[in-house]
Formats: sequence, C-alpha cells, structure tokens
Amino acid sequence: MSQAQTAVVRLHRGLYMQQAIKEAANTFADFASFKIVRDGEHYAVTVSDIDAEVEGDVVAEFCNFALHNTMQRKKKRI
Amino acid sequence: MAQHSVESVDPKAHTITLALDLQLYPFDVVYGAAYVFIDRCYVLLDKTAGRCLIHLRGKTELSEKELLDLSGEFGNELLSQALRRKIVKQNQKIIEEITTQAIAGAAGGTLPTDFLDSSDDGMDFLDDPLGIAVPWEDKFKKKSAEQP
Repeated sequence: MSQAQTAVVRLHRGLYMQQAIKEAANTFADFASFKIVRDGEHYAVTVSDIDAEVEGDVVAEFCNFALHNTMQRKKKRI
Repeated sequence: MAQHSVESVDPKAHTITLALDLQLYPFDVVYGAAYVFIDRCYVLLDKTAGRCLIHLRGKTELSEKELLDLSGEFGNELLSQALRRKIVKQNQKIIEEITTQAIAGAAGGTLPTDFLDSSDDGMDFLDDPLGIAVPWEDKFKKKSAEQP
C-alpha cells in the first residue's frame, strides 16, 4: 500500500445488517482495514489504510456492497 | 410530502440527496429502487424521524441537471417497485399454486434413465413367460376340436 487514508461511514442499523456489513468488509479486506462499532442508531465503520493505488472509491463501493448484501439477506429471510 | 423531495444537490461532488416519507414507501420499495441504481451510482441510505434519506453519487461526473434527472428516475423507480410489490401481493396465491403444480409435475416425470435397468434376469428376448406370443386359437381351442 502506498498511502494510508481514513474515512468513517455511518450506516443506519435499521437499514443495514451487521452481517452484511461484515461480509462487505471481508470483500474489501485486501484494499483497506475495517472496524465496525455500534454508535447509537448507526454502525460506525472506520475504513483505514485505504490502498491509494486502487482505482475507484473503495469506501463508496464498500457502502454499495453493504447495501447489496443487506438486500440479499433480507430476500433470503422472506 | 406527496412523493420524494430533493434535500440537496451538490454538482461538485456529483451527489444528490433525496428524502422519502416512510409511511408512503415501505423499506422493501426503497431497497428495490436502490438496487436498480446500484450499478450507476453509489447509494447510501439513512433514516431520520420517519424519513428515509437517499444519497446518490454518480460513478461518473454528473451535472446538476443530470443529478435532478437521476432524482426523477429514482422517483419513477419507486413507483414501479411499489406497483410491482402490490401486484405480487395480490397474485401471491396464484403464483404459489402455479409453482406448486410445476414442481409436482417435474418431480413426477419419468426420466430416460428410469428405463436403464441394470439387473439381468437371464431371459432372452424370445422367452415368453406370460404366454403373450401364443396365438389366440391355440390358447382358446374348443374342447371338441381337441377331442375328435
């Protein structure tokens, strides 16, 4: 990794499932480090050590994956 | 709020934020619409005081007009998803019935492999243990004809 960057994303607990967020974090584990903690009604996800050489926005892609995984899991529940 | 409203537009960040009344659109509808946009935009959902906030950021550069167009498209998709959900609910029983019949039909069908019997009973194709090949006349010969 050539550059260390950090960002914090707040994902609402009523809209995003924890397992889905963890799954997304695992998907992007090669490109950044993720720490997930509960913060009131949200999950605060600290994304650090973001690989600057990666094309695209790792944090935003991570959010899309978290949302997609949540939808998939909710579908399975139905 | 009759439908979604634009909370903010930031063309520099290629981002638009929409607000929805959650009493009007259930979560399933919001998820469905968000799913359609996930390949074009970065979508982030949030919730506050009975409202759902949808942050859409273009994966490519978008002007203010394009962002507003995106908002309109999202509104259309919300309606489409809401209608789709209503139709599915209305036709739930019919869908279940058709699916059950299809699965039952598939499960009861005969496969070509069913005819491949590997057990050998030691019989030749000319053998006739049930007497099927015996002519009718021989089988049901009149007794008088047998006793001249």
